[in-house]
Amino acid sequence: MVGPMYDCLANPLGAIRLTFEKAVGSGCEPSAFDGKDWGALDVFREFLVDQGNLSQVPVLNSETLKWVQPNTLVRFRGMVQDMLGNEFYAGAYKDGSGWRTNKFGDDSQQPIDSSPDVRVWERRLLYCVPVPGLNTWAESEAASEATVTSMDLTSQQRDKRQRMDAESMDYEGSNIVLEDSPSAKRMREDGHPSLSVQLSDLKPEGPCSSTMMRPEVGDSPSCLVKVYDTRESELKLNDIFEFVGVFTIESEPVPADDGDDIDLTTGFRNDLVHLVPCLHCIVHRKLAVSDFLRSSPIIEQSKHVVMNTRESLLRHLTMLLGNDGVAANYMLLHLLSKIHARVDNVAVGKLSLNLTCLSKEALSVFGVQLCNALRNLLPFTDSIPLTVNYLNTACLGPKKDYQRNRLIGGTLQLAEGSHLTIDETQLETGTLNSVGIENARLLKDLVELQKVEYDFTYYKMEMAADVQLLVLSEGKSNILPADIVLPVRPSDVSRPEVVSAEALGAWRWYLATMRTLSHTIESEIQEVVEKDLVAARQADRRIGSKEFSSLLTMGRLMSLSFGETTLSLEHWEMVKELEKLRKERIN
Amino acid sequence: MASDSSPTRFNNTPSSPDDSAFSSPIGDTFSSPNKRGRGRSAATPAYDTPPHPNSRSRFASSEATPTPLHHAGRPTTPSSTSEGAPSSEAGDDMDEAAPTFVWGTNISVQDVKSAIQMFLKNFRDAQSQGAEIYEDGKYMKAIHRVLEIEGEWLDVDAHDVFDYNPELYGKMVRYPLEVLAIFDIVLMDMVSLINPLFEKHVQVRIFNLKGSTTMRNLNPSDIEKMVSLKGMVIRCSAIIPEIREATFRCLVCGYFSDPIVVDRGRISEPTLCLKQECQAKNSMTLVHNRCRFADKQIVRLQETPDEIPEGGTPHTVSLLMHDKLVDAGKPGDRVEVTGIYRAMSVRLGPTQRTVKSLFKTYIDCLHIKKTDKSRMVAEDAMEIDSGTQKHDEDVEFDEAKLSKLPDIYDRLTRSLAPNIWELDDVKRGLLCQLFGGNALKLPSGASFRGDINILLVGDPGTSKSQLLQYIHKLSPRGIYTSGRGSSAVGLTAYVSRDPETKETVLESGALVLSDRGICCIDEFDKMSENARSMLHEVMEQQTVSIAKAGIIATLNARTSVLACANPIGSRYNPRLSVIDNIHLPPTLLSRFDLIYLILDKADEQTDKHLARHIVSLHFEDPELAQQDVLDIATLTAYLSYARNHINPQLSDEAAEELTRGYVEMRRRGNFPGSSKKVITATPRQIESLIRISEALARIRFSEIVEKHDVTEAFRLLEVAMQQSATDHTTGTIDMDLITTGVSASERMRRENLVISTRNIIMEKLQLGGPSMRLLEILEELKKQSFAVEVHLHDLRNAVATLETEGVVVVHGDSVKRL
Repeated sequence: MVGPMYDCLANPLGAIRLTFEKAVGSGCEPSAFDGKDWGALDVFREFLVDQGNLSQVPVLNSETLKWVQPNTLVRFRGMVQDMLGNEFYAGAYKDGSGWRTNKFGDDSQQPIDSSPDVRVWERRLLYCVPVPGLNTWAESEAASEATVTSMDLTSQQRDKRQRMDAESMDYEGSNIVLEDSPSAKRMREDGHPSLSVQLSDLKPEGPCSSTMMRPEVGDSPSCLVKVYDTRESELKLNDIFEFVGVFTIESEPVPADDGDDIDLTTGFRNDLVHLVPCLHCIVHRKLAVSDFLRSSPIIEQSKHVVMNTRESLLRHLTMLLGNDGVAANYMLLHLLSKIHARVDNVAVGKLSLNLTCLSKEALSVFGVQLCNALRNLLPFTDSIPLTVNYLNTACLGPKKDYQRNRLIGGTLQLAEGSHLTIDETQLETGTLNSVGIENARLLKDLVELQKVEYDFTYYKMEMAADVQLLVLSEGKSNILPADIVLPVRPSDVSRPEVVSAEALGAWRWYLATMRTLSHTIESEIQEVVEKDLVAARQADRRIGSKEFSSLLTMGRLMSLSFGETTLSLEHWEMVKELEKLRKERIN
Repeated sequence: MASDSSPTRFNNTPSSPDDSAFSSPIGDTFSSPNKRGRGRSAATPAYDTPPHPNSRSRFASSEATPTPLHHAGRPTTPSSTSEGAPSSEAGDDMDEAAPTFVWGTNISVQDVKSAIQMFLKNFRDAQSQGAEIYEDGKYMKAIHRVLEIEGEWLDVDAHDVFDYNPELYGKMVRYPLEVLAIFDIVLMDMVSLINPLFEKHVQVRIFNLKGSTTMRNLNPSDIEKMVSLKGMVIRCSAIIPEIREATFRCLVCGYFSDPIVVDRGRISEPTLCLKQECQAKNSMTLVHNRCRFADKQIVRLQETPDEIPEGGTPHTVSLLMHDKLVDAGKPGDRVEVTGIYRAMSVRLGPTQRTVKSLFKTYIDCLHIKKTDKSRMVAEDAMEIDSGTQKHDEDVEFDEAKLSKLPDIYDRLTRSLAPNIWELDDVKRGLLCQLFGGNALKLPSGASFRGDINILLVGDPGTSKSQLLQYIHKLSPRGIYTSGRGSSAVGLTAYVSRDPETKETVLESGALVLSDRGICCIDEFDKMSENARSMLHEVMEQQTVSIAKAGIIATLNARTSVLACANPIGSRYNPRLSVIDNIHLPPTLLSRFDLIYLILDKADEQTDKHLARHIVSLHFEDPELAQQDVLDIATLTAYLSYARNHINPQLSDEAAEELTRGYVEMRRRGNFPGSSKKVITATPRQIESLIRISEALARIRFSEIVEKHDVTEAFRLLEVAMQQSATDHTTGTIDMDLITTGVSASERMRRENLVISTRNIIMEKLQLGGPSMRLLEILEELKKQSFAVEVHLHDLRNAVATLETEGVVVVHGDSVKRL
């Protein structure tokens, strides 16, 4: 066993160097390692995976950032927000008689002499930020895996956000007053805020708008990740990864030509030397939504459990929506939706939901409850208060800033599987300026095509997105053409129940797991479905491919919600029944 | 610097270790890029020519002082100044010395030199080859021209180098610094032979490399290699004056030093006055206006959108531009750059010698070509876009094979927007539009367009826009606009004032920009009247003429128009004519070769198809669903090859068929025993037919339009006509519908109405007697058991006709007989 020979945690570079020297010592030319590994990865893989030491590695966040030593092993979970291109570095060089390596580090300070003694290697620079809209529970559960305790697991940012929530609550002077700071604290500690404290008839802007306060790049622990020897297709923009690697602190990379040789010119000099945490990635792993759940409750995927969880979740949703069972059913399907294919301009599998008949007053009851509940159910949520002023000022689409050579992430740069609530009830008459029109168009494109346009000044690029969109509005939204428009009929305003941590955990697991199931259709059912569609179209010429699509998506999601992987007649009938009820409400 | 990146050193030259060359002080203004980066001057010392004014490196001062070269401006030259006389004697006569090699390689300097000489002297274009051997080669002519215009560079096509001597090309790409330095020297030798008094330095600029890379693929092995890549300029720095020669003055005695040349990025400031009498210490100061500077500029190039893979952001790369290349590109320009990829190490601080382990990379630019500009000038857009010759040849083979398939026409049809089901005939029409017919220009000046214009009219939700978007993606060039947001000038051309020069400049509109392509106009019906009228000229004459703000011009707009429109009142009313439905002026409508009606029929079969399509979309792997279909890349390649290389001609047989068919079509309008005359075809149709059959031949890669092409063209036209020009009351094709908007049967009905109205008026009204109300006449008409329903509106028209005949007078609603 080689493992114990190296202290991977505290001195990863030592381990890297030793393996390198060993490899070179065994007669390999350093040039053989161009773009290749010499065995260092195996050591780390063994240490992290086989020996299960991943949890030993501290997670990088604004708290840990204060005490993590440079050149130690850290973990970072984040979304690839920007790609800064490739960097060439002296990978291996001759120091005296022996070869040394620079991979996974930046320490070579000695002048590098003659060129044949230097191997130039390249690495990719990625700018990663914490997943946008990451909810506290998901964050703390990720961190709690680490046994390195003694540190406050919540970041300052989250802390602040919670406090803001609390303040707005306080300001509202609702019936549950003065609970604010304990509630925030409780939320921080166990990650499961008790809903009874959180949910009250708040003004809708409260939590919704505060979640809008996306961490500014810079004050949150965003991280520059240097990735070695990977194929380009492996790491994509907006993907969520967990990186494990060597931690260093570096000045922010500036465009390569901002060299000293032009600093007396008006060239593109970046005079702010930002220090950013940097991670030389050794191992990386793509994360799915389920990776943000607490790993402990591994629930057997038995039919019974799924059914029970579905029942209880549906009950919970029904109550949230004021005892509106139909709306709860739609909401469940909506929360399970996921894009599973793209054909030309059609994103198959999206199911955006537009809940109508919500006046400002009604929203103050349901909207806030809903917002909070969603935040507790899904790992990444965000919400947008759609006001004229917001549209006119907000920067929704990501934009390239050539001054800083950086992509400025807009609100719509979201990770795959995020949930976005758009609150249209606050929209009043007003005039949109050009920014507002552009923003409205971006939102519309996102709803219709699940694509976001990234602005690179000289051209625009469309990036595929996979965001669940929930629109809350008084009437049918005209800006945002959702797949399903459903008037909500609340009948009963009930106090939200107290939800146990176990139930929450089960629901989270349920939502995260069910949506990833694959799905097929039997040929008999296919025929039935086709027949139904034809009949529907014969009856109503207005039904087009769009309606067909959402009907089929619902069928798929309905059977997924039962944990089934094939569409059954029973579920198809349920969908048709639901649609019938919905149609009745609309007319 | 990286391996083999060191400045040229030759193995018989005791090269002094030039430590500074590697830890090359980045801060120094004279790091490699400076002297046209390539350090080409570095090669000079090794085989210094006998004193000759013109053989000096291009970076030395150009004053022709026939002094032996002191190696001015070669900071990275290891051996030069320190050793005094160059150690290698390889001069013009290369025989005496042992072969010198480019350092670290087995490339012999002499070999390269003679190869270059041979190339420059003897290279001839393929066309001119064998014509006149005694005529000068292509580059000899070019050199003479350069001398005439006192140019400063000679553009050398790398393809020519490759054709003449592939080995030399290989060396040039792999060791550009050294080979280009030799190139320059050979060139200067030749220049001085031709005109010994020519004082300017002529440089070689290589362009058009055989292979171009993408920014993404640049990797460490490309360092110090010649590369060529495409991209978009995003930023340009200000022009940086870079010092080349410095002059110092003694503060004590006022003595001026000789110009001191920058050496290895550094100027060695004299510590004491060189004047014998003075010798004051630390008294020398730089005199700025006696120094010599050169222009330098840093430009950032970014990937164009088409090179960015999914889920990536564009990469950027820095370019260093020198002298004439400065300001050659502006932000937003698409350029193709040839240069040397270089890396230099980064120092920790400006004063520190230690360097980081990082390298800064940039491209030392040799040649820059604006791709967009050339596109505007180019005769055919496809030619530019189709890339290198090699690509063409490969494609040619594949395409030729494809074109031999018996079902190529159907296969292409299937491949066109495979996700839009049905509409096969519409797709066929669009395919014809993509391939296009032959434009014909008669010596008399009359020209016939080869572009096919198509109008799609249809119910909402029938995927018209999707078709449009698909075609837009496929067409070699073109603009996609929406009628709602387009103005007349936006479509054609407008004059604006340049913010910098304050001059009026002509800006091209969408139609001009899509010259030689397809202009897709969505929501054609929503277009303003004014904008639409601009289309008349474009669609038949294929030009845009403007006269405004002192600019009178006619611009080419050889574009095919693909428009789609919604019927008035959003749904197509089958009882009305096309004209009434889409409300377009007949003059414009007749300019469309094919008008398709895409109607949403309440047809169970179609619905089933739609249902199946959507079900498969949801439950099957989309890739599996579409087999036997050409991907877009192949389709585009096929298309561009056909458009470039195939120019079909009508065969006699086809011409005959065309005539026969046309006569037949016209004859169809004559109903036996009927007096009414229906025009079923117009000369415009025959032109359309020719175009379509040419396009069909092109699809098959056939140079001859055969009979079956014509038959298919007739079929296509009829399918389109049947849908659009059918007179719904009689069921025959009626061109009058298109040309005037009123069908013959309708006209007949109107005439009948006039006659019966006249009868009623004659019966009921006395001459000069009391008047009668229109409604009363209507009642009477209805009583007279007219099979057809009569509307007040129709009656009004009839009465108006009678009024012009002088039978009645109309006052408001009352009619009075005269």
